[in-house]
Amino acid sequence: MAAPSADLRIEGVSKRFGEVLALDGVALDITSGELLTILGPSGSGKTTLLKVVAGFEKADSGSVRIDGAEVTALPPARRDIGMVFQNYALFPHLTVAGNVAFPLEMRNIGRAEIDRRVSEALALVELAGYDRRLPKQLSGGQQQRVALARAIVFKPRLLLLDEPFGALDRKLRETMQLEVRRLQRRLGLTTIFITHDQEEALVLSDRIAVMNKGTIQQVAGTTEIYERPANDFVADFVGESNIFHGTMTAPGVVNLEGGRRLSVNSTTQPGARVGVLMRPERFGGGTNSFAGEVKEAVYLGASFKLRLACDDGLELIVRQSARGALPIPGTRVSVGIDPESIHVF
Amino acid sequence: MSSSGWAKAWPALPALVLLFAFFLYPLLRMLSFSVETGNLDWYAKALGEGLYLQVFWNTFQIALIVTGVCLLLGYPLGFLIATTTPGWATLGFIFVLLPLWTSVLVRTYAWMVLLGRNGVFNRLLLDAGIVSDPLPLLHNFTGVLIGMVHVLLPYMVLPVYGAVRRVDPAIVAAAAGLGASNVRIFWRIYLPLTLNGIFAGSVIVFVLSLGFFITPALLGGGRVMMIAVLIEQEVRQTLNWPFAAALSAVLLAFTFAVYALAQRFTRVEAQP
Amino acid sequence: MNIRNLRRREAISLLGGAAAIGVSGNAFAQAELPKPAQIVVNHSGGSMGTAMRKAFFAGFEKKYGIRVVETSPADFGKLRAMVDSGNVEWDVTEIGGQDAIRATKMGLVEKIDDKIVDRSKYPENVRTPFVFASSVYTTIIGYRTDVFKGGTQPKSWADWWDVKKFPGARSMRNHPVDNLEFALIADGVPMDKLYSVDFDRAFKKLDQIKPHVNVWWTTGQQPAQLLLDKEVVLATGWNGRFYDIIKKGAPVEIEWNQGALKQGSFVIPKGAKNVYWANKMLAEMSVPQQQAIYATELGYPGLNLESLNFVDAKVKPYLPTQYIDKQFWIDDSWWAENGNKALELWNAWMLKKA
Repeated sequence: MAAPSADLRIEGVSKRFGEVLALDGVALDITSGELLTILGPSGSGKTTLLKVVAGFEKADSGSVRIDGAEVTALPPARRDIGMVFQNYALFPHLTVAGNVAFPLEMRNIGRAEIDRRVSEALALVELAGYDRRLPKQLSGGQQQRVALARAIVFKPRLLLLDEPFGALDRKLRETMQLEVRRLQRRLGLTTIFITHDQEEALVLSDRIAVMNKGTIQQVAGTTEIYERPANDFVADFVGESNIFHGTMTAPGVVNLEGGRRLSVNSTTQPGARVGVLMRPERFGGGTNSFAGEVKEAVYLGASFKLRLACDDGLELIVRQSARGALPIPGTRVSVGIDPESIHVF
Repeated sequence: MSSSGWAKAWPALPALVLLFAFFLYPLLRMLSFSVETGNLDWYAKALGEGLYLQVFWNTFQIALIVTGVCLLLGYPLGFLIATTTPGWATLGFIFVLLPLWTSVLVRTYAWMVLLGRNGVFNRLLLDAGIVSDPLPLLHNFTGVLIGMVHVLLPYMVLPVYGAVRRVDPAIVAAAAGLGASNVRIFWRIYLPLTLNGIFAGSVIVFVLSLGFFITPALLGGGRVMMIAVLIEQEVRQTLNWPFAAALSAVLLAFTFAVYALAQRFTRVEAQP
Repeated sequence: MNIRNLRRREAISLLGGAAAIGVSGNAFAQAELPKPAQIVVNHSGGSMGTAMRKAFFAGFEKKYGIRVVETSPADFGKLRAMVDSGNVEWDVTEIGGQDAIRATKMGLVEKIDDKIVDRSKYPENVRTPFVFASSVYTTIIGYRTDVFKGGTQPKSWADWWDVKKFPGARSMRNHPVDNLEFALIADGVPMDKLYSVDFDRAFKKLDQIKPHVNVWWTTGQQPAQLLLDKEVVLATGWNGRFYDIIKKGAPVEIEWNQGALKQGSFVIPKGAKNVYWANKMLAEMSVPQQQAIYATELGYPGLNLESLNFVDAKVKPYLPTQYIDKQFWIDDSWWAENGNKALELWNAWMLKKA
């Protein structure tokens, strides 16, 4: 069923709402068949960007191209984009089948073909047999599946999902995430997924675009984003992190503010101001060692999470495998980290 | 009702007492006039004589036409006010609601000035050369229709406005995103989702139309006879209160029937 | 209901009587009863209210220091409801001629106190015990003088029916009263042989004029307005309404021939709160000088025969009492008997497709 799917190019898109600059010269390329997540806190401009792509908002400047064709001025109805909304936005007066058939009817497709594609789409989201029900007779997860079926049934050139699982509980959310991933792969559908949940972004995406204050902070693959964030914001927003700032004093050596010296694996020129990221779970044994006192300890099932006050004045968040007793505050511990596990940016 | 139910209901007691004292009791008292003689003779007259049946039928037809015209004019108006910018919406509301604060009599006389053979409207048409003879807009059914629609239009516009406002904008956006043109969004989304407003407005307008009295008498030139005119005659001129009560009871029963029918219809609509 | 209310009514009048006795005992030194702050006079409203205030109420208020509160319109149904419920708001009310007869029969009105109200100068036949005849009015033809120039207007009901000789849109009242009589006169019945009305003959004649009547009017103001707006060129109407627009310079005149004379009537509702002062009000309304003021204002002369002595010569041609010989009196007692039947026939006739 994999149809040729479109690529999307966003260039220099700005949008202002009164005093607020919601989008500030956003540029983004999405390749055919890719699932790209736009990740950012609320108010970062990610939903506005999605609305500009879908055509619900007009950008003040910039352009949106699908498969090289300019769509900036097209109304939503003529962009051929499937969209799943935060609150599902199902048509309450239409049955499940009626909802899914809607985009096909708008394209004046024959009844037999509509029926065939509707049952195909419903089977795809595992809702076969629900076609006579009304939306309000379905659970939240089922409603979201209907919304998904409705968004893909007409083989759109793009699929946009705007925080679609926000209202679902954690377990259902995880199931739905995997299902969307599976479906998207199977259909080869170019997809933009909006979320403020970094875990969700990591689970789903081929690539993640991190947004803050109307600009894109970094676009990269999931490992890249996690391991090698481009700046403080990305480092802090994605995953738990220990972030420090300092200066390269020699190749492979960083002097942190406060005097602590770290061995790192970096080619950055000496003299440069740098940021240093150490993920909590990367601590164990290593050449850079830290000794200090446990200030706080939390049991997380698979691991312990410790807050250490180190002797050199740094404060670290550290994760350790949950083996033995949970260290009580006041216990002295020492941890280490390899230069390879330290990201310099 | 359980005792706790009563406990919950007691704050409504003053309202219920008022309702009984000022609405239900007078109504029952009035209805009791109609059977004062111990038989149903007055009902037999109300439902048996050609004159009254004909006037009931006229009243029904006029109410139906007025409701139809109010719907045709009021739906687009209510829709526009509900979907336009706040500034325009306020202006629209002022135009819709202002007449409600003017007496029916004044408005009716205003229409007589506007619609007469030598009225403002006909003079404009004559001066512009659009017509060579004045249009008969007054002292006939057209006049009654114009006058009644003017008085009743707000009762259509307001429920429609409310219904349109209740439609989730995300649903409309979704429809557009799925490829629906504005026309199709209207027919497939707005219209079915605002049926309740349409029915509410239609029932109010229809029921109010049934009781119209001053407007048809003045703008109809005496040719348009509605049942309220006959009831008024029986109450104030002939003083035949039992018969007036019987006519009113028939009108009331008829109104309830329409209301019940519309209720059923709306309920069916809500769950296709 | 009737019995219960009757008892209540009696109780109220007894109480009122007791109060009156008690009070009159106290106020022995004074000739008059203690004064209420106000009395309520109910009438048709509009220009009539203005004229009544000028002719009667202003003087009454000045003389006695009692405020006269006006309400409107005259409403027979409301009168009955007030008396039946024992809650009588009006002290004096206007009432239609045939309604006055029915109200008297139904016991809805107080007897007029001839010791207070002096009607010695009134024609004998209008000195009825329960009904005060306030004025005379007539339903006649009003016409546009720019359409019917130099006396070419219809001068009889036969003319009115003659649409070939007197073309033009007409307006008549949407009511059987007057119209049945007019139809019979047009059909050749002499004015003194109209009653009992021959319904068949009247309606058959009315059939002929129906297509030529543009507007069947409902309110008294309509015919004058219709002539003013040139909606119609001929209208039947009450002489005072035409007089009013003629005074103001409208191109309208009155043809008095074969008009339908009626008397304006006032009554004191049974159980009124201030029966004594209501009689005093009627007394004020019977003073000839005051009636002259009223007649000059509205064109409705009073029935005190002396009142004409106080009317300006220019006004006299507009008073129906000048043309009594050319006109006929509506038979109120016939209408009181047959009005309901006539109205029903009228409605059915109006409904009939022409």
